[in-house]
Amino acid sequence: MSPGARLATALTALALLAAAVAALAVFVGSAELSPGAVARALTGRASAESVEAIVTLDLRLPRILVALVAGGALAVAGVAFQGLTRNPLAEPSVLGVSSGAAFGVVIAQVVGLGASVPEALGTTAFAFAGALLAAGSVWLIATAPGGLAVQTLLLAGVIVGIFFSSAITVLISVLDVNRLGGVIHWLLGNVAPIPAGPLALFGALALGGFWLVLAHARQLNLLALGEEAAVQLGVDAERLKRRMFVGAALLTGAVVAFAGPIGFVGLIVPHLLRGALGHDHRLLVPTALVGGGVFLLAADTLARSLIAPAELSVGVITAFFGAPFFIVLLRARYRAVL
Amino acid sequence: MSRVTRVLAAVGVALAALPAARAEALTVRDMLGREVTLPRPPERIVSLVPSVTETIYALGGEARLVGRTDFCDYPPAARLKPSVGGMVNPSLETLVALKPDLVVATDEGNREETFHQLRRLGIPTYLVHGNRVADVLDLVRRVGALLGREDAVAALADTLARRIDAVRRAVAPYPRVRVLYVLWPDPLIVPGRASMLTELIELAGGESITAGDGQAYPRFSLEAAVARAPEVIILADHATAGGSTAGRPAPEKWRQLTSVPAIRSGRLHSIDLSILHRYGPRVPEGLETLARIIHPEAFR
Repeated sequence: MSPGARLATALTALALLAAAVAALAVFVGSAELSPGAVARALTGRASAESVEAIVTLDLRLPRILVALVAGGALAVAGVAFQGLTRNPLAEPSVLGVSSGAAFGVVIAQVVGLGASVPEALGTTAFAFAGALLAAGSVWLIATAPGGLAVQTLLLAGVIVGIFFSSAITVLISVLDVNRLGGVIHWLLGNVAPIPAGPLALFGALALGGFWLVLAHARQLNLLALGEEAAVQLGVDAERLKRRMFVGAALLTGAVVAFAGPIGFVGLIVPHLLRGALGHDHRLLVPTALVGGGVFLLAADTLARSLIAPAELSVGVITAFFGAPFFIVLLRARYRAVL
Repeated sequence: MSRVTRVLAAVGVALAALPAARAEALTVRDMLGREVTLPRPPERIVSLVPSVTETIYALGGEARLVGRTDFCDYPPAARLKPSVGGMVNPSLETLVALKPDLVVATDEGNREETFHQLRRLGIPTYLVHGNRVADVLDLVRRVGALLGREDAVAALADTLARRIDAVRRAVAPYPRVRVLYVLWPDPLIVPGRASMLTELIELAGGESITAGDGQAYPRFSLEAAVARAPEVIILADHATAGGSTAGRPAPEKWRQLTSVPAIRSGRLHSIDLSILHRYGPRVPEGLETLARIIHPEAFR
């Protein structure tokens, strides 16, 4: 099969899966609406004031969209970081980039930015700056003559992540201790419905980051051969790395600003896709966008169902699956190195 | 009974208990000074605050309470009302399905994110806040006004004020006793100046050795606590609130501190925190328990 045909097949399959999971997500929930009531709300036959209309259209649908966008963005950010570092374990939360972005968001909240569209854009700018700062620090710490060592990169990510998490705790404890409980909850990563305006902004930012990564998919393939080989094949490696940094930081920053630091999506989804489709970034990047969305939506549906009517943080679910996944990948990688 | 029938039953009770419909819109100011506009007096209230739930019951307004949190466990009848989940992570859709015309919440324990969502959904939200004993009476008056049960307010407020005053008078002749109140043992967290607990300890004839800290619930050094030679140590018992062993008072650990006056004289006590930490109608009960621990001689 040609790459184009494989991409079309994979995207069709993932889109069908996304539709199925979204259908499930819109029909289940702690309000226990009947399927008929949900269908009435979806087709506009329920009055705007009715419980089924509010629950379906104002709570479940926007939440589904946020999960799809956030999951897609995180998976694409994972692919970008993995391509950039040539390391399948690189991922926004493992690299500490999510924590950097979260620090930016907390500063934005302390400054007083709220939820309107321009304010959300400002919050994202803070998150983006935090993500760049964290990613840049990790890069500087881990770069050694001869490239990035796996262990150093992971350790640098962990350390930078811990540093920014502590900075958040200090900031909140000093400035607004009443919010400490809420912030700790937010740090676990939650998908919540957001209004149409900010949601559109979130989608646009995520698409921007996605486009930037996709446009460099071929060059990422060449970079996988090694930096020297890539340069010989005409890739401006420094420029490519800078752009991947910016793209992945933008994607991570947007997700953290609109949903919070959700971990491991960027690890699990690209790895599964590589198993199914191989290492071609022209296939990985678009399928990660859809696949990441499906994964996070499924995780969020679990998060709001498992202990209903209370809710779990979706980041707890993704970490629950992600941590064992990480260990298996790490073991495999060590075996390959030894 | 399924949740749907429970909700329907609650609706039926609420409807039956309604006095003649009053249609006037009203604007009230909540405890944070925000204006809350209600199209009509609330008839379907969801309480996200255990103290408020207790106050609603104490005022006999429970027919209008249609939802609560998992932490609203008192009076026992409150557990029969549908819950929307925890204080930090309530389910918005469960809440919406209860069709509330008012949600009472707090900035101490609920999340700002929840308030944003409620505003987006157009559900009026009344915020409460309590860290003084005076707030208990204020809350009674405010909840009474929201429930349209002003007639019940005076009786309840009088009883509460009288019981508090009786304790104050009973302990007045005795010298103040140095008290260490342990809110959480490890890390050591204690009530500071801004906490209602500090005020209750003083009303009970004690002097909280951690009152100098300006925060509400500071972390405290065990060394500093021991150095201030507390004559009574009171351990908050969280077990009734959650049941996990982490919140058990663990007195063994404290008994080793034999140089502390409280330990030498065997004055190590534990107390159920739900009667002390909520700014609801059980505050006098908490205060009486506290006073009997601090000044047993006053109640012989």
